Amino acid sequence: MAAEKSKLEKFLDDPVVFLGPDRESLKYHRLAPRDEGVERVLRAHKDPHQISLIRAKLDVLAEEAFDQLEQTGAAAGAKWGDLIAGVFTASGDLASASTGGVLLFSVVCQPVLRYINKYWKNEPTVGVRPGDVFMSTDPRFGNIHTPDQNTILPIFDDEGKLVLWVVVIVHEGENGSVEPGGMPSAAESPYMEGIRMPPCKVGENYQHKKDWVTYLQNSVRDPMLQIQDMKVRLSACLKMKERIDEIAKEYGWDAIASTLRWTLEDTEAEVRRRLQAWPEGVVRSVAWTDSTLRENALIKISLEARKKDDELILDFRGTSPQFVNRSINTQLHALKGMLAQVFLTFVWPDLPRNQAVFAPMRLMSDWGSALDSTPEAPNAQSMMTFFPGFTALQMCVSKFLYPTTKRYTKILAPWYNMITTFIYGGVNQYGETVGNLCADLNGMSGGAREDQDGEHSIAPIFAAMTDLGENEIIEEETPIVKIVPHRLLEDNQGFGMFRGGSGYQVIGTVRRSDMFGFMTTCTGSKFPTVYGLFGGYGAPSYPLCKIKGVNAFDKLKDLPESEWTIPGLMNGQPFEGAKYSTHHMGMQFEIAKQGELYMICQGAGGGYGDPLDRSPESVVMDLRDGLISERTAKEIYFVAYDERTLSVDVEGTEKARQTEREQRKQRGRPFDEFVKDWVTEEPPQGLPYYGPWGDRETIYLGDPSNKVARGTCLGITMTDPREVRITELEQKLRDLGVELAK
Amino acid sequence: MRRLSVDIGGTFTDCFLEWDGRHIEAKSLTTHHNLAVGFLEAVNRAAEEVGKPSTDVLASVDSVRYGTTLGTNALIERKGPRIGVLVTAGFESGLRLSRGRGYGEGLPRHLQVDLARATRPDPLVPNSLVVGIQERIDFLGEVIIPMKLEDVRMKIRRLVDNGAEAFVVSLVNSVVNASHEEKVEEIIRDEYPSSLFGSFPVILSHRISRRKSEYARTMAAVVCGFLHEHMFYSLGTLEDALRERGYTKPVLLIHNTGGMASLESTHALQTIHSGPVAGLAASQHLTREYDIPLIVATDMGGTSFDIGIIERDGTWIYDFHPVVDRWLVSTPMVYLRTLGAGGGSIARYDRLWRTVEVGPDSAGSDPGPACYGRGGSQPTVSDADLVLGYLDPEYYAGGTLSLDPALAELAIEEHVAEALGISVLEAAKLIKRKVDANMADAIFKEVGTRGFDVKNLKLLSYGGGGPVHCCGFARALEAKSVLIPPFASVFSAFGAGNLGQLHIHERSAYLVVYNPLTREVTLDLDRVNAMIEECETLGRDDLARQGFQAKEVAHQVEFDMRYGNQLVQLSVLSPVTRLRSVDDTLAMIEVFSKTYASRFGVGASAPEAGIKIIAVRVLSWVPAEKIPLAGHDGAKEYRPTSTKTRTCHFWTEEQPVETLVHRWTDLKAGAVITGPAIVESPHTTFVVEPGWDLRLGSAGEVWMNDIAAPKNR
Repeated sequence: MAAEKSKLEKFLDDPVVFLGPDRESLKYHRLAPRDEGVERVLRAHKDPHQISLIRAKLDVLAEEAFDQLEQTGAAAGAKWGDLIAGVFTASGDLASASTGGVLLFSVVCQPVLRYINKYWKNEPTVGVRPGDVFMSTDPRFGNIHTPDQNTILPIFDDEGKLVLWVVVIVHEGENGSVEPGGMPSAAESPYMEGIRMPPCKVGENYQHKKDWVTYLQNSVRDPMLQIQDMKVRLSACLKMKERIDEIAKEYGWDAIASTLRWTLEDTEAEVRRRLQAWPEGVVRSVAWTDSTLRENALIKISLEARKKDDELILDFRGTSPQFVNRSINTQLHALKGMLAQVFLTFVWPDLPRNQAVFAPMRLMSDWGSALDSTPEAPNAQSMMTFFPGFTALQMCVSKFLYPTTKRYTKILAPWYNMITTFIYGGVNQYGETVGNLCADLNGMSGGAREDQDGEHSIAPIFAAMTDLGENEIIEEETPIVKIVPHRLLEDNQGFGMFRGGSGYQVIGTVRRSDMFGFMTTCTGSKFPTVYGLFGGYGAPSYPLCKIKGVNAFDKLKDLPESEWTIPGLMNGQPFEGAKYSTHHMGMQFEIAKQGELYMICQGAGGGYGDPLDRSPESVVMDLRDGLISERTAKEIYFVAYDERTLSVDVEGTEKARQTEREQRKQRGRPFDEFVKDWVTEEPPQGLPYYGPWGDRETIYLGDPSNKVARGTCLGITMTDPREVRITELEQKLRDLGVELAK
Repeated sequence: MRRLSVDIGGTFTDCFLEWDGRHIEAKSLTTHHNLAVGFLEAVNRAAEEVGKPSTDVLASVDSVRYGTTLGTNALIERKGPRIGVLVTAGFESGLRLSRGRGYGEGLPRHLQVDLARATRPDPLVPNSLVVGIQERIDFLGEVIIPMKLEDVRMKIRRLVDNGAEAFVVSLVNSVVNASHEEKVEEIIRDEYPSSLFGSFPVILSHRISRRKSEYARTMAAVVCGFLHEHMFYSLGTLEDALRERGYTKPVLLIHNTGGMASLESTHALQTIHSGPVAGLAASQHLTREYDIPLIVATDMGGTSFDIGIIERDGTWIYDFHPVVDRWLVSTPMVYLRTLGAGGGSIARYDRLWRTVEVGPDSAGSDPGPACYGRGGSQPTVSDADLVLGYLDPEYYAGGTLSLDPALAELAIEEHVAEALGISVLEAAKLIKRKVDANMADAIFKEVGTRGFDVKNLKLLSYGGGGPVHCCGFARALEAKSVLIPPFASVFSAFGAGNLGQLHIHERSAYLVVYNPLTREVTLDLDRVNAMIEECETLGRDDLARQGFQAKEVAHQVEFDMRYGNQLVQLSVLSPVTRLRSVDDTLAMIEVFSKTYASRFGVGASAPEAGIKIIAVRVLSWVPAEKIPLAGHDGAKEYRPTSTKTRTCHFWTEEQPVETLVHRWTDLKAGAVITGPAIVESPHTTFVVEPGWDLRLGSAGEVWMNDIAAPKNR
């Protein structure tokens, strides 16, 4: 019997249909356990001073590679900071990353390297040898989404033992997906999201293989970009290798391996020490995303953060199920990468940028939920769910930090969290086919701080020192003309004692091309994605606005420039015969006619503290600067001032604020009474609500009557919005027919 | 040759006088209330050396060259007029948004990555003084929304009502069609003629930079507008003072482009960092004098460590978008990297890594290192140098500043040694090793990123801290020799004496050289040649205004080129001054490909993505006579002796080393001193580490050479 079973096991082991994503590698984000080899090098090389010197050199080479990538990369993402370079241990843990760029790119490469180690290292037809070049794009094996392309080089010692990996990752954009630009919201399955490469060997002897390059070039709309940036990434890796060889010559390979591991272990110990200082307890927050980018949907992202000893447990159970034919789902490792960014950028910016920062965190999630999606759920637009997940954690962390004595940076209200930009594609003015995105996605506004206002459109949540770019350069390379590239919008801020940063309006169109178009991918058009802290207000919501059926270049000369704003154009409707419309920000790709206007607005950062505590002088300063309206000054901040000179009326303000405080008390109600009136058993009819309502064990699927137990729904299938529209129109026709028949 | 060069720094005004083959150095304290006072004092001292009254010296020199930190200081202190800025409507918030990243420009990396603290600097232009005007020009220069003159008049009046004292006009794509900017200037002159209110300075962005990038160009114009009045008043006063003392020619201002020009041919932005750039010019002169193909110039001062790269036969390495104070601007500036590593850099215990870290925080000069006894309690690099025996507490800066070793030891003990559980001496060794490694890593990155081979470089070290640490960072780089130049204490002034009058004119372009889709070399030669001709004419005109004839002017044509749509634009020295045939184009492509491959790797070249020219640049200059350093290679070698010793400590040696101490003033050309040894001069201390030697040349230059690689690196 035992022999038969063994035979059966053998039979079942052999004919594997294919190697899919490795869930084990994807789930395990902690450091690889020490093996005998690691123990040996750690014993041999433990002088912290020498390790410090080697670490500095490794950091320098990552910086050098980053600079080279940023300079030589052709993708918009490369030029404006959406990239990173890093050094990983032999077992695949990120030990050193460039300080510039998108950190989560590197963190999410851990599963890719683990996959290569597990499946390809000993596979005779693949193998991992000196000179090999690997690459992957499929987020189901690591990475965030398909527009990100990495290049991976294994580095061996003189005896042929794998010592480490060097990796660079760039958001390349165009990838042959169903919509140009690489981030399709129209994708209804993973197979519509462009090239999906599991980790593959695309080169040997430090060169790309021509057949692979040809395959990839023929799979995308911009073959020039594809070849150029593959070369650029490989060159950056080779530069890193050259530097590492020099370090090895000076200190030895074991010393390098030891440095990488000590760096990780020391970092984890430091993070645990810092967590130990946080108060014990549980903090909860909820974030929302209000569309699937195809239709309106209120999707709940819930987080319960529990701090115990030196560990932080992040419990996302109860988040909405995944949408199996919408691209907004997140792979769990991508969520982890994004959450690591909270700690590295907004909590402990002094810490080294490596994998160990997130090692003490434990994640709990529901398999098949929007934040822990299965391989068959598309995820090109996973930012729509994991960015609100970031915000949920940002709010929880601020609450933990508030009573913590030793802090490493300021407490702040949530940062704006959506990529408000034009993704573009088509034929440019030189006849070249291009597809990519504008750098405006880097213009997210800062949340208010514990002691100062947030900054206006400053940096994305995922990277520092990124760039909004120069419009003259954009216009030279693409047919995009931004009539208004940078105009801050009045009242676009999270109000508070300290206010969040304001966001700017963009009014764009196309010129000198009839085959060029845009898409936009944001949520928060109806329900904000960013909230206030400790009494501060959240960001407003932002629709996409369009003016079609008109060539604005013919009209703008007669319209005063003061009306060149979204409110001015949409409320004033100055162009006769034009069609004015508003939409949620999930616009699928559409060809724009020359002179038709597309209008979007960067979001605001959340406010901090009660607006009634804001300095009246600061309120009037914002009024003078055009950041807020008179109504906001009077009805949100309750500031009295001379309308001619804009000087603060101190007594009048105090009186107005005291009156408002009294009225608040009047409006206030006992908690039980409030709950009784406010809380309902189920979501309201007609609200497309996804997630738990009261207790998190019951999950609603878009309708109060459609609910399931948590963990039992592996996905929601949405109807094509065009089908919905056709059905509506057919019904209207039928109704009209009935009317006519009467 | 008789030539006078002056460099006004924050503390000292340095003077270098070339007088019939004599090289005279002189210094005076900088007089911030009136720079002319310190300037003339330095000139007086130099004149005394040649035994002439300063009026005679000034009357007989061929030129007075002048580098100044005036602009840098004015920016830092925010001393400037209220500028009204007119931009294209829709772009009004661009200045305050500063491309997002403006919060971190000019800051060290650890502050750039701390987004929760990220705060933009106070603007040079308040928001109330930025207005948008109704107009639009496209990327080819076509007017797509015409300008409304009444709108412009109204906006100008609004700016004046809001207190504008000067104007900057920066309109989108003005570099390809300047008509709208020029029209605005005309309207300002019409609205506010000088006879009515005095002159409102008007700066048009396309006259400051001809590169596309509207934010950086606007900021360049704003910085110019901000500094204009203050600088020209101060410099005009200086010119008057010199004229009264017999100097009748125009004063030549050092430019950060590596050239110089008279006051009326200079805009304020060109003078920023002119002192350090003059130092690089001196370095370039030395590469030719000493036949060094590639040199990395390092200047280690009290608070900063500057790095520049010089090729003997190459072009200047430019930064086209440098950061000035906290502002990204568009102007071609000789590339210079400044890091926070100097004698004042603070050392601390790094708890995370259980070791010592140095910088980037600095004690500066006030309070300065703990050993200065001015209230500083943090241990610095200078404190470690003192504890290790490198510095003589009684002869620091020639004895002008007495150092207190006890304070240095206390600071190191309290902040580093105790936490590490080691002795003060061991901690001081760690500090020395770490700061040397930091500087070596920085040089490594700069040189590597620029595509040069680190192994083949030679180092040039100047600044007060350089000779103390150059063996250390050279060792960490595996560099075999370091040149400490002659006239190191007035090095920038010496560099100024070797500059020529130079003007740079550029044209932004988008010229497809090679189209990979059609597989054609498509460069429009007539268009390129017309751009070159235009730039040459402007350069000749600039120099004609300074009294030079066209036949005296030399030109150099450079193209900024790239593959596809990448960010980098490599400057390529054109093999010809006019492109006549496809062969000329191919020759240019070849130069580009070689330059690119050497910088980023052979495999990185990507002609498959197309090849483009993004800018055409012409350097126009008048070749100038250089100051010769005759006799620098003929000194007879000898080994000086000294009876003075001091106990020094080196991290490569376990035991203390009784080290010979020489006085600089006792040495003659040809001196060879084998390390370990110390050489003390009034301006610096040379630390000759074990395994190194020092050789003194007849021009006053010093070579430090690695003569035996120690076991431990």
